[in-house]
Amino acid sequence: MEDLGLKIFGAILTTIMAFAVGMLYGGIVRKLTARVQNRYGPPVHQNFLDLLKLQSKKTNIAHGFMGHMAPVWIIIAAVTVLMFIPILNGNLWFPNLSFHGDLIFLLYMMVFGSLGMALGAGQTGNPNSAIGVTRGLSQMVGYEIPFVLALVALMIQYKTTSVQDLTQIQHETGVWMAFSNPFSFLAALLASLGMFRYSPFDIVGAPAELASGPISEFGGKYLGTMMSGGAIFAFIKLTLYVHLFLGGAGNPDDSGILATLAGIGILLVKTFLLYMIPVFYGWINPRYRTEQAIRYFWGWPTALGIIGVLLAVFIN
Amino acid sequence: MNIFFLLITILFSGALLTFLVNKVAPKISGIVTFATIALVSFLFFTQVNIGDTFQFTLGEIPMQFGITPYTFIFAIIVLGLGTLASLYSIGYMKDQERLGYFYSNFLLSVTGMIGIVFSQDFITFFIFWEIMTWSSYLIVIYNGYNSRKIGMKYMIFSAIGAYAMLTAIVSIKANYGTFNIAEAIQNGAFNFSENIYIPVLLLVGFAVKAALMPLHVWAPNAYSKSPMSFTSIFSGAMSKMGILGIGLVLASAYSYTNHDNANYVTALRYALGWLGGITAVMATIYALIQTHAKKLLAYSSVAQLGYIIVGLSTGTELGVMAALFLAVVHGIFKGALFMVVGAVERQVGTTDMTKISGLIRKMPFTFFVALVSIIALAGVPPLGGFVGKWMLYEALITESNNYFLVIVIFFSSTAAFLYSYRFLFGLFLGQEEKETEHVKEAPITMVIPMMILAILLIVTGAFPGVLFEPIAHGMHYLGFSDVNWSMSVLVNIWGEESNMTYINLSIGVVFVVVFAFLTIKGYKGTKNVGTKDISTSGEIPTENENLTFQLDFFKPFERAAAPLYKRSMDKIWNDLGNAFEALTDFTRKIYTGNGQTYAVYVVIFLVILLLMKDTLFAN
Repeated sequence: MEDLGLKIFGAILTTIMAFAVGMLYGGIVRKLTARVQNRYGPPVHQNFLDLLKLQSKKTNIAHGFMGHMAPVWIIIAAVTVLMFIPILNGNLWFPNLSFHGDLIFLLYMMVFGSLGMALGAGQTGNPNSAIGVTRGLSQMVGYEIPFVLALVALMIQYKTTSVQDLTQIQHETGVWMAFSNPFSFLAALLASLGMFRYSPFDIVGAPAELASGPISEFGGKYLGTMMSGGAIFAFIKLTLYVHLFLGGAGNPDDSGILATLAGIGILLVKTFLLYMIPVFYGWINPRYRTEQAIRYFWGWPTALGIIGVLLAVFIN
Repeated sequence: MNIFFLLITILFSGALLTFLVNKVAPKISGIVTFATIALVSFLFFTQVNIGDTFQFTLGEIPMQFGITPYTFIFAIIVLGLGTLASLYSIGYMKDQERLGYFYSNFLLSVTGMIGIVFSQDFITFFIFWEIMTWSSYLIVIYNGYNSRKIGMKYMIFSAIGAYAMLTAIVSIKANYGTFNIAEAIQNGAFNFSENIYIPVLLLVGFAVKAALMPLHVWAPNAYSKSPMSFTSIFSGAMSKMGILGIGLVLASAYSYTNHDNANYVTALRYALGWLGGITAVMATIYALIQTHAKKLLAYSSVAQLGYIIVGLSTGTELGVMAALFLAVVHGIFKGALFMVVGAVERQVGTTDMTKISGLIRKMPFTFFVALVSIIALAGVPPLGGFVGKWMLYEALITESNNYFLVIVIFFSSTAAFLYSYRFLFGLFLGQEEKETEHVKEAPITMVIPMMILAILLIVTGAFPGVLFEPIAHGMHYLGFSDVNWSMSVLVNIWGEESNMTYINLSIGVVFVVVFAFLTIKGYKGTKNVGTKDISTSGEIPTENENLTFQLDFFKPFERAAAPLYKRSMDKIWNDLGNAFEALTDFTRKIYTGNGQTYAVYVVIFLVILLLMKDTLFAN
């Protein structure tokens, strides 16, 4: 019983950490973007202030049942995925279920939130929301192809479909997957540009074009909850990439406080550097049209992904 | 009287009875149909044991009935969906004409399917196969003259399939000396040793019903033009008869093939797998440009059957299990979705998504069913559809060398999110229009069967083991020696698992917490508004402003995928048809039907004969 209580406590702690890191990263990006554009920019903790403001609104506008449910779907997807990925490799302080759900499950669970959100946006009746959703789904068909190619390459190269095992293999051999199968890593990296939806792939929200798209009719507690879910999701995607390609973080043999803190530190450094790639790419690019974005992913990223799979087959 | 004989007799006499009852009291013919199928289901599940057999001779032909663990899976689909669809029919077909015609054919097609499931020899199988085909053809043309062209297409393809099957059956008798299915398998009819054409011809026959490319072109129209209460079993159960056959042939081929012929089997597996994969992709991208909900679902059915065939083609334990699981789950969710469309059609009068939108508040129960079924269709956790998809991917990745087929399938199922959203948005979400203000929820006889199907989807997601059990027995019968399964944990051969208990637990806990938080927090300050109360760039739209977004829904995707849309099997078949017509036109120029022309031919022939008599009759 005590064990279960500890696990629940750990799960809540993990969620809070993911949320805080995601929000902070968002704030840092806002600040950096402002500096690049020669503005002063908001403070790095601005996202927390925004959330506080949104959650303390007295009146909220609800657009029917699916609208009410939209933030719930997002949080469900975010927290569930968070529970099923390893935060630190084999660390006892982070109880997770990563042995009970593998990559295929994670792939499907990660779209759960977007689809729920899409339904909520649909019920508001705002045509901009629906247009944003159709763009987002179309773009997803684009970037999922190179992403899945990369994952399939990893799975057949190492004969496992578990994130935990893939991390452990990298820990044991000391070679990151980014180096053992560089083509797959590149394919996944290019796919991540679409996943993070910075320019030139910001076609879903598309400021000044779709009036922020799917979220345009949400405000107050709904928008606040969505924001939290989005922050957790950003952390999840980064952590997943780090564990799959960049050697993961944490020492499975040592779960002491110092080792754990060091692990978290390494995780933060890796995720932050990874996060900067789509952000940097976004600063220097204007927005694509939807079909251009899809075509982009079906071009070089897919070709690299196919090379990656062939390489993995060849290695075996 | 034997139970199998009794069940078939009840069904046949039920078909006759509904037809006669309709002359006296049209209203109760639907109830008679429902009662008949419900009675048969009840008797089947209480009285029949797996392994029972029965034989009688009709004329000179011995007809063998029985139930094997494998066909039991399909009996569940047919009887379960048949009962619910006939209950649904009572509400859906109310106030329609020619109910006797419809219901007796409805019952006959269920009879055909049950007969196929029961049959132990190929003659019985073929007879019931034809009963099923003909009765479904008669229902396809139920909606009048325009449907006849569509019915003709269906009939032509069914006939191609039937001839192929008949040739194979006769060849089996000639080469292996038996009509009995089990004996034929034992004697090696499907082992690809000498008569490779037998399994191939049978597969052609089954592939027509399973709507496998390139024999699928009848399906989208036939599915969408039949009355929806029938389409739910047409797509949900009848297409599975094709799957039943394909599974039988393929699995026997794997189990009874010695290593000399393994190459043929592998080649066939690859061919079928890729055909299934391409079917899935093409049907999916055509589904997402449809504007009629019925047509969208019809294409989606073809795509889903593609996945099932891919699963069967792997020939591995997990792959076949995934295929059979998907077959059952597809029956449930596609049955439910066609019922949803039928409910909308009946309440609103059309299923054209450019004319309807925003029905969610008017038809909440129907929406709930649609939502659950679409989640299952899209394969999103935690419903039954996910379980099937998971096993299919794992089978392809871990147990086959067909890695690029994984990508094809994945492309198809990601693109399936697009039409899933299109379907839900088109009918239920979006702007609430004045034209649909009068719409009310469907009658209770229609809602109950839909709800039952939705609940089944949730159950199969949480406890897939309830389906694994019969499937595992069926697979054991097919020759898979040791089939692993557990109640709610999915495992692949590398040992990785997806634990549905933990997944459901996690989803459930977060759902309760967040839902409670969002609902309770600021409950009084939360104002529920309509779909006109939105901000469009800061302006509040007026009452009559048109804000509906339904046309050219996925235009950007269409542009991006333009090369894929250039190919169409339909066009190829039509060209073939035109070529055939041109050929017959040409023969018409020779056989003019004019006596004088024929007289000239005779004269010319005699002249040629005379001229060449020396060369021809020299000896």
